[in-house]
Amino acid sequence: MESRVLKPILAVYVVAFILFLYGPFFVLTILSFQQGPDGGPQFPITEWSTYWYRQIFGLTPPSRIAPLPVGEALIRSLVLAFMTMVTSTVLGVMSAQAFRRKFRGSTFVFYLIVLGMMVPGVLTGLGTSLLANNVIGITRHWYTTAFATHVAYTFPFAFLVMLAILNRFDGSVEEASWSLGVTPWTTFRKVTFPLIFPGVLSAMLFAFTLSLDEFPRSLFAAGGSEDQTLPLAIYGTFSVEIHPNIFAFGVLTTLFSFALLSVYGILMGLSVRRARKMAMQEDIT
Amino acid sequence: MTDATDAIAVPNRRGSSWLILPGIIWMALFMVLPILMICYVSFWTQTTFNISSTPTLASWKQFFASDTYTGALWTTVRIWLIVLFTTFAIGYPTALFVGLFVKSKTLSTVLLVICVIPFWTSFLIRVLAWRPMLGKEGAINIILMKLHIISHPIEVLLFTELSVIIGMTQIYCVFMVGPIAFMLGRIDRNIIEAARDLGAGFGRIFWKIIFPLSLPGVIVGAIFVSVMVLGEFATSGALSGRKVNLLGNIIVTQVGSLKWAMASVTGVILTVVMGMVIAAFLRIVDLKQEL
Repeated sequence: MESRVLKPILAVYVVAFILFLYGPFFVLTILSFQQGPDGGPQFPITEWSTYWYRQIFGLTPPSRIAPLPVGEALIRSLVLAFMTMVTSTVLGVMSAQAFRRKFRGSTFVFYLIVLGMMVPGVLTGLGTSLLANNVIGITRHWYTTAFATHVAYTFPFAFLVMLAILNRFDGSVEEASWSLGVTPWTTFRKVTFPLIFPGVLSAMLFAFTLSLDEFPRSLFAAGGSEDQTLPLAIYGTFSVEIHPNIFAFGVLTTLFSFALLSVYGILMGLSVRRARKMAMQEDIT
Repeated sequence: MTDATDAIAVPNRRGSSWLILPGIIWMALFMVLPILMICYVSFWTQTTFNISSTPTLASWKQFFASDTYTGALWTTVRIWLIVLFTTFAIGYPTALFVGLFVKSKTLSTVLLVICVIPFWTSFLIRVLAWRPMLGKEGAINIILMKLHIISHPIEVLLFTELSVIIGMTQIYCVFMVGPIAFMLGRIDRNIIEAARDLGAGFGRIFWKIIFPLSLPGVIVGAIFVSVMVLGEFATSGALSGRKVNLLGNIIVTQVGSLKWAMASVTGVILTVVMGMVIAAFLRIVDLKQEL
């Protein structure tokens, strides 16, 4: 009765909500096609053009507006995200594996790890740079201090994903393997790991994307301009005048994210299909 | 079985305890130690360009004596409470639709994915995109003028506290929608049916059944939003034209001018606020049990 009235109202509301979520992105996409190099980052569009896209790839003649300093920063960010992804996924799988048995202080350790995703980046970033500067006396770099703080942030996500996967994991296949005399390490490699692989993929995706877009930690824990990651390069343009090139770049990074998501989707689909195939083979034999 | 006998009975089998060590060490070194370091440095002596480990309370006194700093503390708390409320108010109806009203699992997954897609744009660019939305000649003013709802552009939309709140609400409301929709999806529909059969109206069903059962989701969402808003500085910096200073903004400017001691004091205060908020929320719901 009520739901017949309420449901359409809520449906309209959800559409409005989605428009609210996407509004800025629509505006950003439209403005990225602003005429260049004189068109500003606001309405109206003086003339539609792909100038700002060409400028990012260095295809336009030099103008008074400097191109975004993103080339090297992008490579640094990708390498950093990759390092962070591998490290936090390994740590996440190990810790979640340990959590399959109750051990003394497990609740404390759980909160210690989960706290990593809650503590703001400003704090871990500031603390790490204080440690590096004033106690250890090392120079901060994106691949040392910033990397350490990135992992302290993404590892909890990987851990929670793996914990959720292993909670639903049927341990009897492992026991079967052990009782046949297979060593625990081989059992993990040949039995456990293939079964938890979808979870591992999700953990990797989480860690990679979080690190790629991570800004406050890098701001404090990475060093000078030769250490700029992508978000830092974008942040650098905040203080000076904004041009539509930043919007064009935003559209491009979003497309890149979609490509990444598609790769994840394909890998996920493949691993699910392989698992189904193996299950079918078992049925036959 | 106790831990000790268990370890002897099944040596080296699934999840030996040593596996947890690298994780503990990493978090201790790169999360706990840095925060302790902030507490320690907040008592250091600050000179113009340098800092020495001679203990002093000077920075602490300076913080509480200055209107700029204490003001930032109150601004942070105020903006946090407002954004917490707006994300909840805007997010809950969406979660209600996605988690409870949509019958097909596929459709609710699709809706959630649609909500998550904007996160694939870089955070900073998402913040920046609000400028051409809210500005005097921005999209919202243009649309409202075209519709003849207003005759003059609204100027309070950009570079005010309002723009910070709008920006943060949009960026963080999905973190409210997700957990609430998840909890609503787990509600046993038979309970609602039973209540309806017994003659309860929707309002009664909502307040007596649906809302209480979704509360853990609200709390988890509130924790997400709180920790992110409290540690913010980029949105407030970019959308307020430096008029709204949060604790995070103070830390960034202090570090920028090499005032490490003052940055640390602000950091400790932020940690305390954050700790109190998280502890309060965790008293209401046990996070580990909800997994």
